[in-house]
Amino acid sequence: MLFNSGVFALFLTAFLPLYFFSRRHVTARNLLLIASSYVFYGWWDPRFLILVAISTSVDYLAALGAAGKEVRAVDQLKSAAFLVLVTLASLACATSKDWWLSAPVAIGMAIAALAIVLIKRSAERVRRKYWLLLSLCTNLGILAFFKYFNFFVGSATALLEAIGVHAQAPSLAIILPVGLSFYTFQAISRTIDSYQRRYEPQYSIINYAAFHAFFPQLVAGPIERAGHLMPQFETVRPFDRQLFTTGALLFAWGLYQKIVIADNVSPIANAVFNAPADQTAGATLAAVLAFAVQIYCDFCGYSNMARGLARCLGFDLMINFNQPYFARSPSEFWQRWHISLSRWLRDYLYISLGGNRGGQLKMYRNLMITMLLGGLWHGASWTFVAWGAFHGAIQVVYRALRIDSVVEGSRFLTLRGFAIQTGSWFITMCLVCIGWILFRSRTFDQAVTVLGNLFATTGYSADQFATLFAYSAPLVAVEIYQRASGRLEVLTAGPFLVRYTAAVALMLTLVAFSAPGGQEFIYFDF
Amino acid sequence: MISDERDAATELRPATERGKRLPTPLRRVLRGAALLLYTLLFAEGFVRVFDPQPLMPRYITGTAWGVRGNIPNAVYWHHTPEVDVQYRINGQGLRADHDYPQPKPPGTCRIGIFGDSFLFGLEVDIRDSFADRLEKRLQGRGFAVEDLNFSVGGFGTAEMLQTYEQFGRNFDLDVVIFSWDTSDLEDNVRSNLFRLKSGKLETANSEYLPAVGVQDMLMQYRLYRFIADHSELYTFVRDRISLFLKKRIKSERRQSLSIADTGEAEGAPLSPDNDIDELQHRSKIDLSAAILAHADEVVTSSGADFYLIDIPAQLSRTEFTSPLEVLPETVRSRLKIISPLSALSKAARPDLKLYYEKGQGHFTPTGVGILVDEAVKSIASSPRLAACAGHGFPPAP
Repeated sequence: MLFNSGVFALFLTAFLPLYFFSRRHVTARNLLLIASSYVFYGWWDPRFLILVAISTSVDYLAALGAAGKEVRAVDQLKSAAFLVLVTLASLACATSKDWWLSAPVAIGMAIAALAIVLIKRSAERVRRKYWLLLSLCTNLGILAFFKYFNFFVGSATALLEAIGVHAQAPSLAIILPVGLSFYTFQAISRTIDSYQRRYEPQYSIINYAAFHAFFPQLVAGPIERAGHLMPQFETVRPFDRQLFTTGALLFAWGLYQKIVIADNVSPIANAVFNAPADQTAGATLAAVLAFAVQIYCDFCGYSNMARGLARCLGFDLMINFNQPYFARSPSEFWQRWHISLSRWLRDYLYISLGGNRGGQLKMYRNLMITMLLGGLWHGASWTFVAWGAFHGAIQVVYRALRIDSVVEGSRFLTLRGFAIQTGSWFITMCLVCIGWILFRSRTFDQAVTVLGNLFATTGYSADQFATLFAYSAPLVAVEIYQRASGRLEVLTAGPFLVRYTAAVALMLTLVAFSAPGGQEFIYFDF
Repeated sequence: MISDERDAATELRPATERGKRLPTPLRRVLRGAALLLYTLLFAEGFVRVFDPQPLMPRYITGTAWGVRGNIPNAVYWHHTPEVDVQYRINGQGLRADHDYPQPKPPGTCRIGIFGDSFLFGLEVDIRDSFADRLEKRLQGRGFAVEDLNFSVGGFGTAEMLQTYEQFGRNFDLDVVIFSWDTSDLEDNVRSNLFRLKSGKLETANSEYLPAVGVQDMLMQYRLYRFIADHSELYTFVRDRISLFLKKRIKSERRQSLSIADTGEAEGAPLSPDNDIDELQHRSKIDLSAAILAHADEVVTSSGADFYLIDIPAQLSRTEFTSPLEVLPETVRSRLKIISPLSALSKAARPDLKLYYEKGQGHFTPTGVGILVDEAVKSIASSPRLAACAGHGFPPAP
């Protein structure tokens, strides 16, 4: 279900009254949230609810065990019952020929039961680690199979072919479940936090399942931490008009970013990236800039909608984008872009690899590995890996040359500081845009062609940039105001009449300038 | 604490001021009304600045023959960035400044024009409309003719046919012209006046009056007419609602087609991978082709000549596409077709507007002129008009 679809509007119309009726009773509210979230997710394909349920059932137990808590027989029973119930419900909604899926689920449950028996028999000092391993194997196993199986097999076959070994690669028609990378990462983070004693998991599977499948952020994040979001599912959430109004405005602003800006500038980028060979330098530059705007508004728009919707329900989700295009260095860019993923990679990968400890070279290695895997997280393609490697490499160069420190140490209000900060911002944006070329291109050849087009000096005209400018100018103005005022939510600031007028203008803009046809969010593919 | 402060503030206010304050519910109502007024004014200003709308109110009502018609005796204006046009509708609902007697004057031939907004002459003055200019041109060539413009904006072929059969035929027409443009495929399905059953055309409904009841009710009020004539916000909202409803109807039809018996679609068999869109498109074509063939039969059997005038769609100032191409060859070959496609392509220049671009995209007077040239070439040779040739005709006052 897309946030920008009529079906979602109907869904919300049915959901909200029920939610506000049940919101004072935590269990009833969480049961409603589970049911609604599963309807929301299952609308796309009910079969994949089984994966959500597997991740939920395993991580419910794994987090308890990893935290050193006793995993009782009743907890195992709850976990198994939940998985069986969701499996039966999802298969009942799918076609009759999908009932074979119950067999792998049963086998998986038997294997998990065996694993749990073995874990329980293991020595107490390693038991917590085994619980963590169970979570990692389950979530990363699901991720590896559904997202990367064909990629790894195809790459291995190509490698064998390159060294002269003929291999027949098995290719499976695997559908990538929407939001798989998001909810598996969120589940893993909770178990790791439990293992590292940063979070204490509770025994309620209902509360946990509601957290795991919370529909505003289930399919495209933010990738929340249990320490921040999970306690909210254990208490009655506040509700007042102010909260609801600001949430609705945040949702509307996100919708504006998506359907007015991202969807309207996407044809500029698509036209060039679909046939890069025939394009002029001007058209290519416009396309690259358009994609930079599109991906930002698409993903930031979704995050804002998720946060706005959650706030309407009384929940607080983390900020996922903090004006990334104001960044003056690649590392600052990653502190502002997809913050929930950047922090996840930093806390669970970069620091686990050793982080800054162990000298410069190890730090560079850790940075490169983190960014490479971060790139791969975005999609099963070598262009994403190259994009990650590119961002890793430029961060290494910035750190090696201590550019970050020079930029941080300069003062904007002095002439030298102004020159340094403006120059470093411009260079960072150029680097980010080069990165977007790799990100958007389907093949390296395409990326090279697009990059080559940019170095031509002819073929520029104002018309090529007119549409992009028309849709981006209001966004740029708002972002500058946000930057100057230090408030990300400008619609909720100022006197009533100003806020009210801004809200009316936003609604009219949504009606007048939304792009025809609801387009999917780019990050749904990740 | 807060309530204490409020109480204290109330106590400190002079008694006279307290006495003058309006009761709370009334204050709320007034505040709400003021906010509503402010919202409407702001929205009107917003639309005028950021998304200007051509002011093109629709003076449409229901007719006794079950389809939409122009409101008799209506006089109204359209304002777009390109034109300001006044429309006068006669007492019979035709675009004309006088009524026509039903028996035609002796020695005169009558041409009935049944079309949508293009042949109605939207965005052009009556003197530049197709009907008026065709009449003048034929009179100039010695034909004693008068053109009756039965066109109504938004009409599809099915409504044109119903108007001809139940109203236009009474005027003893010698030549009947129907328009054919890209929207007709969809219009003929939406109106649901006719349907195909086992390949045969049959009447599905006798009436198609979308939103006419609401329009008639609203048009009684002067305030509504003022808003419809002058508010760009109203036009903005009306057009979006209309677009939304059309999409809904289309989507519902799509769903019903997906479960209906597909055997009714004629023509080439569907390949297994043909999707519902193609099936839907083909059923639309089959329905429209059958209506056109039926219209030709009905008009010819009434003793008049039937012509179909092609209204090409503009892709750019120099590129056009003809909706005729979608019609089956069997239908095209049996109809007398007037197509200005090649003449439009020949006349087109990047600096010349043949269609308006900031209103609703109808012909400019230059575009109408090309259409009339092509029409005269065909109609002047109509055997029915031979009886009125050479008599001359007194110019209209």
